[in-house]
Amino acid sequence: MAEAAVAAEVDVADAAVRDRFGLTWQPALAAGILANLDRIDVVEVIAEEQFGASSRATRALETLAHQVPLLVHGVALGPASTSPVDVRRLDRLARLVERLDPAFWSEHLACVRAGDIEIGHLAATPRTSATIDATAANLSRAAAIVGSMPMVENIATLMDPPASDRSEVEWVSSVMTASGCDLLLDLHNVHANSLNFDFDQVEYLDRLDPERIGAIHIAGGCWIESPDERRERRYLDDHLHDVPDPVYDLLVEVGARVRRPLTVLLERDGRFPPVRHLLWQLDRARAALAEGRRRVSNET
Amino acid sequence: MRPEFETFLARLYTDAPLRARFLAGPREEAERQGLTVEECAALERIDRVGLELSARSFAHKRTLKASRRARSWWKSVRAALGRPRH
Repeated sequence: MAEAAVAAEVDVADAAVRDRFGLTWQPALAAGILANLDRIDVVEVIAEEQFGASSRATRALETLAHQVPLLVHGVALGPASTSPVDVRRLDRLARLVERLDPAFWSEHLACVRAGDIEIGHLAATPRTSATIDATAANLSRAAAIVGSMPMVENIATLMDPPASDRSEVEWVSSVMTASGCDLLLDLHNVHANSLNFDFDQVEYLDRLDPERIGAIHIAGGCWIESPDERRERRYLDDHLHDVPDPVYDLLVEVGARVRRPLTVLLERDGRFPPVRHLLWQLDRARAALAEGRRRVSNET
Repeated sequence: MRPEFETFLARLYTDAPLRARFLAGPREEAERQGLTVEECAALERIDRVGLELSARSFAHKRTLKASRRARSWWKSVRAALGRPRH
């Protein structure tokens, strides 16, 4: 075997050894997570759920941080906006990151408020050069206050944002370039958007720099219908259903493209099945990523 | 993109009467809100089904958050009332 091929195989094997798989922290799953730390490498904590948490809950998380690496995931900063991100939110985030010392922190490439209006969740911002610059400036401000760069996550959307002049993947890639942030690639969001806006999800992966993908989210969703007589369908990323097969297929594709070790997180926010069912889905994710990594070593 | 456009989108997501007026006449409503010609043209082509479904999804999330906040407020009141006095 040629020296380069051997080196590539070693790289792939090494990355596979260091891939990590985990769950999002939910009080309803706490007992199941604590009882299965031998099968869970990492736990993701939603930042906003810890702001204003009781001191007992905070101490419990600090104790957990000694047993398993934690990640801090923001859902309400809204950096993809022409308005500057709220410094008070960043201060709270900085204190949480300092206390929990996560392996990394992350936030969505979304707009969550404008003017004095709270949208309530993650809205896709119009994809233009102006929003790329504004988002990069917000991420730079966030990194300065929190003390480290976040990973940024692509979002699912039910509506193609108006006034956009480029595709989602072009916009996400440009934000990564302009901000220097690595990508937390949500494969279910790619899947949902590919169904809603009719693009090829593997081509989406091909247009990302694989070396800038640092972490993966997987989740589930469902179809919803418009309330009018047209009954048009859209696919909603709701985190209430099992991970669908096409997301595992995408994870194989990721394994075949990304050389660096990855952190893969299963997001489940409600309608919780027994924890063994979530662990089974994590095992499927391990197998899918390993299959992709094997494909590379077989080709080399 | 101007902040005014972003704010108008946020209002479309969260204000049902405004959304109904807008869907009945997108250009007219956008012009009434003082948006530019280009912004009005972009809004005229808006994905109407996506807008309505997004607005419903965001409203559901706001309701969930409000009920969580109320539960947490009630929990702290109960804790305070239940705390022994010295």
